Amino acid sequence: MTVSRDTKFVHLAWQREEKMLEKTKFTMAADPTGNVSRMFGVYDEATGLALRGVFIISPEGKLLNAEVNYYNLGRNIEELLRKVKANVYLGQHGDEACPVKWKEEGDKTLKPSAEMVGKVYEALK
Amino acid sequence: MGEHCCGLRVGDTVPDFKMETWEPEKGDFGEVSLQALKDRKRWTVLFFYPADFTFV
Repeated sequence: MTVSRDTKFVHLAWQREEKMLEKTKFTMAADPTGNVSRMFGVYDEATGLALRGVFIISPEGKLLNAEVNYYNLGRNIEELLRKVKANVYLGQHGDEACPVKWKEEGDKTLKPSAEMVGKVYEALK
Repeated sequence: MGEHCCGLRVGDTVPDFKMETWEPEKGDFGEVSLQALKDRKRWTVLFFYPADFTFV
């Protein structure tokens, strides 16, 4: 879901006006007080706006990822989806680790062990 | 909001929050809370941005 300090009414107006948002499926949440933005440390006191932050929260309510960009840098949605998929996978396979190039279930993972120390290159081959 | 007033860190348990929403798929307003998402065993992605009608 997306979050900004705009009200739900402005979200409605923007989503209906902007053609790029025509097919939007996600929830657009309103944080007019900035309280949720503050909770996640993305509230910019100087401007009263939220920085471009992304946070992934598990079904148990644990914060697993945090990424914040400054105003003028967009986020890579492919990388965000990769992280969500990896977190879901690791939620079910807690003893494994997803390497940098892991994209989806079935891709090679690592099981850290004494034998693997200093041998990650070989393990990934 | 107590100890987490201004900056959760990775690994922290996120306190409950509640927000009003616009639901494009339903074409209606709604409300979301972390507790409701947890009750439904959902993963949550929060995607903050400065303001509607901005550009990137």
